[in-house]
Amino acid sequence: MSAEPGTPGTTPRGAALATELVSAGYAGRPVVQEISIRVSPGEVVSVVGPNGSGKSTLLKALVGVVQVLSGKVIWDGVEVTNWGPDAAARAGVGYVPQVDDVFAPLTVRENLEMGGYLLPVREVPARITRVLEVFPQLAKMLSRKAGRLSGGERKMLAMGRVLMLEPRAFILDEPTANLAPALAQSLLDDHVRQLSATGASVLVVEQRARAVLAISDRTYVLTGGRCQMEGAPADLIASPDFVDTFLGGRRRAGDPGEE
Amino acid sequence: MSQGTLFYLANLLVYGGVDAIACLGLSMQFGVGGVSNFGYIIFQAAGAYTAAVLSLPSDHANGGFQAYIGGLGLPFPLPWIGAALVGGLVALPFTLLVGRRLTGQVAAIGLLVTAVMANLLVNNFVPLFNGAAGLSLVPQPLQNVVNPQSQTYQWVYGVVGVLIAVAIYFLFRRLTESPYGRSLRAMRDNSPVADALGKDLLSLRTAMLVVGGMAAGLSGGILVGFITLWSPGAWGYAETIVLFAAVIIGGTGNHKGAILGAILVPLGFEEATRFIPAIGAPGLIPALQWVAVGVLIVAFLWFRPQGIIPEPRRRIFAKALAARAGGSEALAPSPPSSVRRLSSSGGAVNEEGPILITEEVGVSFGGVQAVDGVSIRIERARLTGLIGPNGAGKSTLLSALAGTVRATEGRILYQGHDVTREHTYLRARSGLVRTFQLASEFKRLTVVENLLAAVPHQRGDTFWGALRGRRFWGKEEATAIDQAKELMDQFGLTEYADTYAGNLSGGQRRLVEIMRALMARPELLLLDEPMAGIHPTLARKIGKSLQNLCADGMTILLVEHELAFMDEFCEPVIVMAEGRVLAEGTMAELRGQSEVVEAYLVG
Amino acid sequence: MSLFIASIGFGIVTASVLAIAAVGFTVQFGVTDVLNLAYASVMIACAYLAYLINQTGQSVWLAMVAAALAGGIISLVINKYIYAPFQRRGTSPTAVVIVSLGILLIIEFAVQAIEGPANVSYTMGQGATYSAAGLILTGVQLIIIALSLVFMVGLHLLLRYTRFGKAMRATAADRTLARNCGIRTDRVVTLACLITGALCGVAGTVFAINSGSFGATSADLFLVLILAAVFLGGPGQPYGAMLGALVIGVATEVSAVFITSDYKYVSAFVILLVVLAVRPRGIFNAGAIG
Repeated sequence: MSAEPGTPGTTPRGAALATELVSAGYAGRPVVQEISIRVSPGEVVSVVGPNGSGKSTLLKALVGVVQVLSGKVIWDGVEVTNWGPDAAARAGVGYVPQVDDVFAPLTVRENLEMGGYLLPVREVPARITRVLEVFPQLAKMLSRKAGRLSGGERKMLAMGRVLMLEPRAFILDEPTANLAPALAQSLLDDHVRQLSATGASVLVVEQRARAVLAISDRTYVLTGGRCQMEGAPADLIASPDFVDTFLGGRRRAGDPGEE
Repeated sequence: MSQGTLFYLANLLVYGGVDAIACLGLSMQFGVGGVSNFGYIIFQAAGAYTAAVLSLPSDHANGGFQAYIGGLGLPFPLPWIGAALVGGLVALPFTLLVGRRLTGQVAAIGLLVTAVMANLLVNNFVPLFNGAAGLSLVPQPLQNVVNPQSQTYQWVYGVVGVLIAVAIYFLFRRLTESPYGRSLRAMRDNSPVADALGKDLLSLRTAMLVVGGMAAGLSGGILVGFITLWSPGAWGYAETIVLFAAVIIGGTGNHKGAILGAILVPLGFEEATRFIPAIGAPGLIPALQWVAVGVLIVAFLWFRPQGIIPEPRRRIFAKALAARAGGSEALAPSPPSSVRRLSSSGGAVNEEGPILITEEVGVSFGGVQAVDGVSIRIERARLTGLIGPNGAGKSTLLSALAGTVRATEGRILYQGHDVTREHTYLRARSGLVRTFQLASEFKRLTVVENLLAAVPHQRGDTFWGALRGRRFWGKEEATAIDQAKELMDQFGLTEYADTYAGNLSGGQRRLVEIMRALMARPELLLLDEPMAGIHPTLARKIGKSLQNLCADGMTILLVEHELAFMDEFCEPVIVMAEGRVLAEGTMAELRGQSEVVEAYLVG
Repeated sequence: MSLFIASIGFGIVTASVLAIAAVGFTVQFGVTDVLNLAYASVMIACAYLAYLINQTGQSVWLAMVAAALAGGIISLVINKYIYAPFQRRGTSPTAVVIVSLGILLIIEFAVQAIEGPANVSYTMGQGATYSAAGLILTGVQLIIIALSLVFMVGLHLLLRYTRFGKAMRATAADRTLARNCGIRTDRVVTLACLITGALCGVAGTVFAINSGSFGATSADLFLVLILAAVFLGGPGQPYGAMLGALVIGVATEVSAVFITSDYKYVSAFVILLVVLAVRPRGIFNAGAIG
């Protein structure tokens, strides 16, 4: 099951990531309940929803940073529930957290080297060159400390770090948070979309629903810790329920009625 | 019993009393106030030196073989009084290190270093206290009246020491079991929250340092009067560690524990080794003693960090109920109506115009402009909502209004006064109260204590008020408990009144947070996502309660994500995005505005 | 004036000893998140071990190697079996400092119980005295300075150019993110404790050599200098600690010229208090207390 992160991708690289009725949360209390989602190789799947809907918690549960209370996480056909971030990395899952996504006191080059920690040492320089082809802006800043980068540059470095292992799946937690709208759009259009070109599975959680829907193959909508809607972006945008879900106007199924 | 044994027992009594007083002072500072003063020994040393130089004749007398300042030859009890006063005075500059800015670890290191350095200075600067040789031939109290070598003298000395220790115990207990003591414990448990509830942290910490300093100073004065010598060797940093060990082992936060610790560690330890035959090289037993102290510290912190006699859980509520049952007025069961507003905190209030106005308020840190040019007006007696996507700056704005975060631009006008630069606790005292997003209950206080801690302007919440005892503040406290009971009944938590707040579930702790904020008699209440993790039915019940409070004249600003809630209860609602205010109106109006919709969907 | 220049020379020697100790302390803190006040006692315990070996006829410098090994092992044991369990339990950092004080007592006075209260000295020649440009230093002092430079350069090469060194810096910066990269952070912490512990052992031996005679409690005052250098440079910052050591080392010796030498530690103390009160993250405002 464990991927070989050094092998150039001759076979389709991605692997399927899925959850089955996963409930997860802190200290035994679920923040998300009974979520079942699926990402297939080559797909870009997004998870959107209003604040507090549990999107970040779902991602953390996938990599094992947050405890899964019930249900299963399945990677490449094998159950890996609660496996832990280092096991996930070794298996070829690239996780980019929302904050604390780079090593601030290390330089850009060193951050990339750390991203490639699991690679044989002699392969690292070649891999760095490949990552720089994807993010050419980083090439000029190899000796700069990551803490000194702007928000957009930092996020590119965070994604580049994960790219070093040429993972079979990417999990991105609100990659455009704190970025200006124009930059956010270009990050999503130019980079996130491309991640799936190698055949990897891409799962993105985003606040900017419209922007991420534009690049997704499929979308899940989470509210109140549960999955409320699922479908192709075009269908979702056209549906009047979609906007309501975000702005809470319509009473949703499952709400207790008036006492 | 032989003479020798009797003398020995008298000695024990003196040392016991002195150690108890010193440990009580540390128990107050560290156990109750949460101040980790690793330099504590300096206060005892200052007291001992003071008592010595106050009672010694001028240093030219006695053949002039000692050099020291002072030498006033004062009679008893002046040296002891001087010792206590100087101990307290020396403590004052320590507030600079332990003040608002420094965290526990760093302040602790700084204080430890100070103790080491003070010892070095005194050791080397001979004219001060005779340097390394120290002071000897210190006159003993009333030595001209009673022979200090006699049994009577020694026993009386010991008894006096113990009596003083007992008196200090009762004094400290009076302070600790009062509303003032509750504020100290709140500061210990969570100082930023205590700050936001109106506690003047600087004043509390200063008081703790001075009180502990005086106790330590007095203990030094009593000790030096008995053993007639004092040198730097007697007060290295190791002695502070022994005192800490005593308080930790005896029981942190419990003055009885401090006394037990004093008996077990400095006293019991020293004495136990007396009975061990002097095996091995000279100095082996003392060295092993220190090793054992170290082992005890680590072992206790691992196996029983609360100590032998842990801090007791105060069953204030049960006692109040019992007192009512036996007393004249019964505690009437509150009718199951919604929450009404507690009586206002009084004081002059500018009734005209909006209760809060911000003018181009901005907050930036680390190059990020979290809040940008926000100008809002909050009208009185309204339940105003504040919404916006993640990162919109809602919490930061709330923090700037409350004072937890400093606004870098603009002005904040509360009740017509410019409070932009005002400290958090002052804003809280004038009725600007906030709640926090993350769990912020005082964990080692019970639910009812959490609520009582928030009541402003309590008579018992000052140092002198506390000293005057329960007779002075008891009635006011009983009223406060009534009000707390009302709230707990409305929110359904009465059965947990005497439970430690830290032991409740997440949702229950949220409710404690809200109740506590209400107990603070706010004029303007800032609620930061209070409904997180609360069942929708209960959330709506709370919403109705909030509406009632506004009907009674309270103003509320509420940050929430549940937009359906905003629909039902808030008007107006302010929308923020990217640090700026986007729009304001009812939810229905806002839903129709395209920028608002876009902000939420586009982020 | 010549006294002044000579004192700079002594300052550089003190700074050299201090640098080895302070850098070891600060890197250990960066990776483990523990302000290990017992560091001074491990220093002196290793110095004593070197003394015992030295008394059997071996050169002190050879004994120093044993001291380094011992320092590494002791530091690892303390961290793995005492500090780490407390941290896993969620003990507050201040309480962990109190634990480290307990360990300080245990080690320091265990050494005193074994060796007795009297001071001891190494059996070693001081070497010739060299003077140049106003500085007067013995051969031994020159060796100490050279040793310190070697270690500083070695550490620099380790941290900057080796994969493990970078992994150490990454673990110190953000342990969870390091795990995300697949770095086995427990192994990193273990090895970091061994390395910084070895530095501690060397620092203890060199300190003892430089002091002439030493006893179980001799390093206590030196701990204050270490803390001053560490906080001046920013806790967790190795280059900051090197700079801090230079400043503190020279400041203490030079001030001894103006005030009597008994008070030379006072300048370090004043600097430390000012730094703690004004800029606890160090002059570069880059350190972090976890």
